[in-house]
Amino acid sequence: MKVIKRLLTNPTSLTGIILLAIFIIIAILAPQLAPVPERSRDAYMIPRDGFSSTPAGPSDEHIFGTTEGQYDIYYGVIWGTRTAFRIGVVITLFTTMIGLFVGAISGFYGGWLDEILMRITEIFQAFPFLLAAITLTSVLQTIYGRGEAGPLMFLAKLLALVTFGQSPTAEIDPIQLQILTGMLAIIIFGWMTYARVIRGNILAVKSFDYALAARTIGARDMRILFRHLLPNAVFPVLVIASMNIGSYVLTFAALSFLGLGAQRGYADWGQMISFARNWVPSLADHWYIVVYPGVAIVLFVLAWNLVGDALRDILDPRLTGSRA
Amino acid sequence: MFRYIVRRLLIMPILLIGVTMLIFLMLSMLTPYERASLYVADIPKRQGAIEGIIEKYGLDAPIPVQYWNWMVGRKDPDTGEIVGGVLRGDLGWSKVGKGSVATVIGRRLPATAELALWSAIPLIGLSVWMGIQAAVHHNKLPDQVLRVFAIIGWSIPTFVFGLLVLMIFYARLGWFPPERLSNWAMRLVQSGEFTRYTQMNSIDALLNLRFDVFLDSLKHLVLPVVTLSVVSWAFLLRVTRTSMLDTLREDYMTTARAKGLAEAKVIRRHAVPNALIPVITVGGLTLIGLFNGVVITETVFNYPGMGSFLAEAALALDVVSVLGVTLFSSFVLIFGNLIVDVLYGVVDPRIRLE
Repeated sequence: MKVIKRLLTNPTSLTGIILLAIFIIIAILAPQLAPVPERSRDAYMIPRDGFSSTPAGPSDEHIFGTTEGQYDIYYGVIWGTRTAFRIGVVITLFTTMIGLFVGAISGFYGGWLDEILMRITEIFQAFPFLLAAITLTSVLQTIYGRGEAGPLMFLAKLLALVTFGQSPTAEIDPIQLQILTGMLAIIIFGWMTYARVIRGNILAVKSFDYALAARTIGARDMRILFRHLLPNAVFPVLVIASMNIGSYVLTFAALSFLGLGAQRGYADWGQMISFARNWVPSLADHWYIVVYPGVAIVLFVLAWNLVGDALRDILDPRLTGSRA
Repeated sequence: MFRYIVRRLLIMPILLIGVTMLIFLMLSMLTPYERASLYVADIPKRQGAIEGIIEKYGLDAPIPVQYWNWMVGRKDPDTGEIVGGVLRGDLGWSKVGKGSVATVIGRRLPATAELALWSAIPLIGLSVWMGIQAAVHHNKLPDQVLRVFAIIGWSIPTFVFGLLVLMIFYARLGWFPPERLSNWAMRLVQSGEFTRYTQMNSIDALLNLRFDVFLDSLKHLVLPVVTLSVVSWAFLLRVTRTSMLDTLREDYMTTARAKGLAEAKVIRRHAVPNALIPVITVGGLTLIGLFNGVVITETVFNYPGMGSFLAEAALALDVVSVLGVTLFSSFVLIFGNLIVDVLYGVVDPRIRLE
């Protein structure tokens, strides 16, 4: 397709794509690149080499060094790639679905339904994003920590199914629970941009002739929505989604850094950097705790931002009117 | 113009109430026991006492009643007076802050405000100027360099950047320390000789004519300010650049040049004012968005503001505090958005006439 070709020739997006490809390869080859120790409970818990609380620098055994508690940084960075992809992709999936749903209904039916949905969207948008994510994470952790959570447990199980492939009949693994609460919090406050964009696009496109033509030959609402309106509205969503994946990973890393996302010892880049908080005065000696996972995060987010940026330039208004 | 403002003002109460309802929704997901700290400082350990609290404060009443009580206040069964309520400024009791949430916010707010204030001017000034330069030298070296910086800045997590600058400028070089003041300055500020006007160290130091304290507070502010601004700076730079590029392509620019005006004048008088219109909105929103960055920055630098309070409270699962801070911040965000919208209407006549 034209878009793909342009993505590959643009130097910025090409850099982004290559970076992403490297990350994907690392994620797929994680078990080979950083073998899981034999008696490890969960591949995503970073193996510990002893229990000394002083971080150790890069050595032959631990090429990126170890953190406080002797968690191997190299292992964490490699397996953290998988975590980053999982979290980013799943959050993007759910937020776009919710946003698409709300925006499509709102834009298509209009009237009081539109008004109500838009007010609700504005109310959600009135919260500073990170604060809202932190708030909801702490609320959800209190609730899930209690054990029974009623209807919310359903949401957590759904998320666990999609993210980790966890069967809904099993109890949620406590290791994953904290991650799920963080993801849930980000999803619940992350859909609004998509809703507004889709609604705007559908409103613009609703009046176009082909929609009118479809209605004239008797096509029903849903059909018009799906076959004619949505395809056109989807491109901006792709752009926003690709740019947002980076920010979801950043937000989740921030949550982990604060102690709210992945738990201690989990292979998540933000979580590993949080180990550096106790070592600030001697940070120059323990630079590896920050630098290795930090570079991983920056490159990952950069890759998505480059691709998203290029997509946006390519899918500029010139193209959005031309598909019927 | 008037109608535009009125329309905005009418929507505000809906937003404000909606926000309180959403916050209360989250609050109501907790058990009455967990919610008890909304009203009581010290949750007693005896079983019967907790039941008594739950009954006294109506913590198991139907949800709408509880919402009403929480917002407007409830009748204190002992004295019969109406007491508390969010509208009266009572946001509950903070486990972590050991005081009422409102008090803790009041105590921590000046530090955050000081940080935000010092970040705002360099942030906006620098990023806008750079964005204009990048657009004016489109695709030449300054543009390329700035674009690379901007997109990297946009991809760095605040805490990584903060830790990196701490590593280089504090751990290795020892130039800029974390926290708010050095020990000697802290002692001076808390002594009787120093009058506190605003609770902001830098401003108070100036008002007290103590330039040494002023410089000390600035020294502590450099790293947090830079860290807080870097992501927003990158974003604002890009927005300004794009807006400026679009403006430079407009027809009236060709007209201005055809009239024979010098290029510098053309840019300054015609391009920049028009290009800055969207930047105002985004700039305003970015300033408000500093709320987000402040949580991480204050945590990294051990800076005792509202952001670090939120982080501590969230970690301790002190939900009442967390919700209180979020409620407060959302209100500020809503008012901020209103001001930005009005400003936008003032600056761009096309908006007013629609």
